[in-house]
Amino acid sequence: MIRIGGRVVAGPTRRIGPQPGEVIDRSRSLTFYWNGASRAAYDGDTISSALAAAGDRVLSRSFKYHRPRGILTATFHDPGCLVQVDDEPNVRASHRQVAAGMDVRALHSWPSLRFDVGAANQAVGPFLSAGFYYKTFIKPQRLWPAYERVLQRFAAGGRVSASSPHGDYDKRFAHPDVLVAGGGPAGMAAAIAAAEAGAEVMLVEEEHELGGHLRYGDEVALSRLQELRAAVAAHEQIEVLTNSAVTGRYDDNWVAVLQRSMPHVTERLVKARAKSVVVAVGLIERPYVFEGNDLPGVMLSSAVSRLVNLYAVRPGERAVVFTGNQSGEAAAAALERAGAEVAAVVDARRGGALLRARGRGGVTEVETGDGARVECDLLVTAAGWTAPTLLVNMTGVKPRYCDRAARFVPGDDLPSDVFATGGLVGDGDVDLLVEHGRATGLRAARRALETLDGHGPLTALPRLEPADHPALFRSRTHGFVDLSEDVSSKDLVSAAQEGYDSVELVKRYTTATMGPSQGKLETINTVAVLAESTGRTVAETGTTVWRPPHVPISLGALAGRNLEPVRYSPMQPWHEAVRARPIVAGQWIRPEHYGDPASEVRNVRENVGLIDVTPLGKLDLRGPDVPRLLNFLYVNKWSKLDIGSVRYGVMCGEDGVVADDGVTGHLGPDHYFMSTTSSGASAIYEWIENWLQTTFTDWSVHVTEMTSAFASINVAGPNSRELLRRLVDDVDLGPDAFKYMQVRQGTIAGVANCLMWRIGFTGELSYEVHVPAAFGLYVWEALMAAGADLGVGPFGLEAQRIMRLEKGHFIVGQDTDGLTQAFTAGLDWLVKLDKEDFAGRPELVWQSERSDELRLVGLQPTDPTVVPPEASQIVSGANEIEGRVTSSRFSPTLGRSICLGIVSADLAHAGTVVTVKQPDGTRVTARVMEEHAHFDPAGERLRG
Amino acid sequence: MPTSTRRGNGSVAEPVARSPIAPAGPTGTRGAWEVSSAHSKAALRLADMTALSKVLVRGAPGEVAPLLCEHLRARREDGSLIVGTGPDSWLVLAPTGRSDAVSEMIASRLRGCTSLVTVIDVTHGSVVLRLSGESARRALEKVCAIDLSDRATPNGSSFRSRVAAVVSTVVRDDVDGDPSYLIVSDRSSGQFLFDALADAGQEFGIGLTGYPEQEI
Repeated sequence: MIRIGGRVVAGPTRRIGPQPGEVIDRSRSLTFYWNGASRAAYDGDTISSALAAAGDRVLSRSFKYHRPRGILTATFHDPGCLVQVDDEPNVRASHRQVAAGMDVRALHSWPSLRFDVGAANQAVGPFLSAGFYYKTFIKPQRLWPAYERVLQRFAAGGRVSASSPHGDYDKRFAHPDVLVAGGGPAGMAAAIAAAEAGAEVMLVEEEHELGGHLRYGDEVALSRLQELRAAVAAHEQIEVLTNSAVTGRYDDNWVAVLQRSMPHVTERLVKARAKSVVVAVGLIERPYVFEGNDLPGVMLSSAVSRLVNLYAVRPGERAVVFTGNQSGEAAAAALERAGAEVAAVVDARRGGALLRARGRGGVTEVETGDGARVECDLLVTAAGWTAPTLLVNMTGVKPRYCDRAARFVPGDDLPSDVFATGGLVGDGDVDLLVEHGRATGLRAARRALETLDGHGPLTALPRLEPADHPALFRSRTHGFVDLSEDVSSKDLVSAAQEGYDSVELVKRYTTATMGPSQGKLETINTVAVLAESTGRTVAETGTTVWRPPHVPISLGALAGRNLEPVRYSPMQPWHEAVRARPIVAGQWIRPEHYGDPASEVRNVRENVGLIDVTPLGKLDLRGPDVPRLLNFLYVNKWSKLDIGSVRYGVMCGEDGVVADDGVTGHLGPDHYFMSTTSSGASAIYEWIENWLQTTFTDWSVHVTEMTSAFASINVAGPNSRELLRRLVDDVDLGPDAFKYMQVRQGTIAGVANCLMWRIGFTGELSYEVHVPAAFGLYVWEALMAAGADLGVGPFGLEAQRIMRLEKGHFIVGQDTDGLTQAFTAGLDWLVKLDKEDFAGRPELVWQSERSDELRLVGLQPTDPTVVPPEASQIVSGANEIEGRVTSSRFSPTLGRSICLGIVSADLAHAGTVVTVKQPDGTRVTARVMEEHAHFDPAGERLRG
Repeated sequence: MPTSTRRGNGSVAEPVARSPIAPAGPTGTRGAWEVSSAHSKAALRLADMTALSKVLVRGAPGEVAPLLCEHLRARREDGSLIVGTGPDSWLVLAPTGRSDAVSEMIASRLRGCTSLVTVIDVTHGSVVLRLSGESARRALEKVCAIDLSDRATPNGSSFRSRVAAVVSTVVRDDVDGDPSYLIVSDRSSGQFLFDALADAGQEFGIGLTGYPEQEI
């Protein structure tokens, strides 16, 4: 029932007969739920239009004072129309279209929208003025956590369940010649003209369909709308994005567009690099500030026109219209057409004034400037327009205040690739807007296509200027300026009196313009009230700086798809089939182990194991200057390396810090093959290219990245030679023919062009074979099949880590860090300072002259059952840190714990007993060993 | 457990070469390669072309480009496609099993160059995908930031950029007037890239299709 001052004036529905421009489909009825009760709607209704049709006036409780709020603008920016839809919070009810079965609920109300406990805040409103939280909860600081817990309960916004399904979002890049922001008459005309000139155009419209204000205009407007829409549709070169918003314009016309409600994704962020941008975002009607201006039933004139003409809803039964322009008159006409009574029209242009609106839960009475009181359930205001200049101002151009029109305009001196047209620029009839749009679109196309002639002469840009308008910002009474944040004009006056007298300070102190409407409705009134309080003009007060986003954007849209590449070796299907435990190593997914790393270690020590080492960096080096390059990159010497031999090398940065290590083999004349660590592969490739392209530009060397071109398998263990022998015919694998640290090229299991290196990280007789990658799985399976009687089995990274630690091999990045220079890593035997030059040499010369450096040492815990966790500190008696454990494991081979650690120089002597402080605070002791290797220090097994 | 050795009478058959991308639908062989024999009639199609031979050429731009192809362009020649992938690098794509022949042909042609020339078979290091159809541009735009308009990326052009965050060489290589892009990337990320493109093409009704008779 709808009542005015106690009188029942209408039945339960406010849906009126068919309207010429209505967007609802009366043949498709649907039902949704509002706070648990069913509501009827038509396809095409927004949530708020459907609720308005059902007679629901209160759509939410406000952010701070929990005051009842209803439809104000009937647009996306409607501050009182944020609702929860199913599991989605903060949905714009005046924009989101209804779907069958939707569960819509009001925000900020408990236990119900009608009876809201939080509304008690209104009673203490005077104490909740601007700065209340800052002033009240700042002391004592120690109580802030408690304050925070309580205040969080009052936080605005809806609810997201932890079990909510993840929304589906994605991104897209676009490179339109011309991007038109705004699909009203001027925007459509600009798009058409640009397309006719040969440009690819992206036309972005916030509403669900093109048309702007023509959609809810008269018959002439609707007729022009159909013409323009047809012309847009006829152009293949125009891509139309409706229900989409330009959220920001960045340098060089990088424009972000949020695209909503597509069938396959929730939202999409379009990253458009436009050659020209046309801003045709129209005008936004601004609210008027007066006492009671937030009551449900107080609506903007454009909201009334929208409800009547687009949704066939009568927004009230008895209306008072306060107007300063034709839009108010149009709303009054629409209301009469809809069967509402227009009780009074208060025309500001003729001296009429509006004092206050009264009512509880909605307007019931309006008091005008002459003291008259009029009963009504609808108060329509037409107080003027705001030009949303944000996109233009994001270029750095400051908005200019037009005093006679009482609104800001985009400002002058736009960048040459940004254009403005339509209501944003000035007021005019449809013909003028279209003409201006066409002329602007043509200019934008010419700029984009860099054509100064062709497509006919450039017509003059028609004169389009803002029309005169009375300066209607605030009545003699005070009301809400920012309905999103519950900031009143009194708050702004108080803030100014407290010294926050610049618009930027007022914004931050009161939070005015910082709510979901992002200043589109509030900025001009904020500026006007501040100007009034400080005795300055609106122009002198100026606006806040506009920054993206133009409209709020979801984090999901910003994130888009999760495009984080992963890398797999060719043997991945085999690893998955045997349920290897995967581990993430950079981008690579690798087998950590196949169930029992200790067993894998024992099998390698006793039989033979296979490990997939495909991620090892692999570089093909060719050219006569490769030896010079190797001599420069590595700390050791490379001039004499026979064809068929390989050598271990360590690379340092220019700071002498260990950067990478690996083995390089001499395959043929001017042909070498380098391996790097798995984690260092890309960095080392870039490091080498950097030297070749910037310093050694005259060296004849080509480096080719081959990491993925080969599947790499380490065949390790005493039976490895026998296993390989069964599958290799063309290489003599005998210990004298193929010695430790040699390389051969040959055929494995019928696969030609394989590389075989006799090296090993595990300390066992082993062969690292590199197989053309597409045959990797085939060769792996062939080795497994051929070695069944030899006890062949897979081993993973963990087993390899254990075995290398048993052998005392360090891992770059594990046993070294960003400060570990070569001598600290114990590489005295490798570094050749007598070389003329190499990367890091000057630093290493200095390091060699110092004696107080940290040293990497082998550590043997006194208690062989204790494995100090990696990163345990090594401390002195005075509890000062003297080093750390860098690697530690329990050795299945030795039956005891083993470690590597970095210690200060005075503790590095063999036999020194150090104290290890574990993360839990307990202390154990460990002895510094003679060498890094715990197992087979002489290397007899790998040379066997 | 997957098996790649065809065991008959207890003996091991010929080696099988595999793409890193799980084949779509039924499989067949092309040379040593196992390839998908699926056939899609969708308006937008994605095919795994990894079995193609791939030969990388490095050399001085001034000497090699006139003999092969300009940077950022692609050129067809005797059943192969020569792509200028960098100022001093070229990639030659050819039918399966042709890498030795192509390498010899290129080496022979460049024999007169005075600066260092490297010709190297990189068949096994890369994946090659072909995205074809009217909406190929729209689909690729979802995962690649480069301007793909006809004006910026006409047929016969190439560029190197990120596709779905994977460094790739992209060649606009229309087939019978149908927009088509070849995407060459590191082999190890092949499945990821394939999945990302298939995902990007979903809204356009993408179909996964097999290795074509006309390879390149």
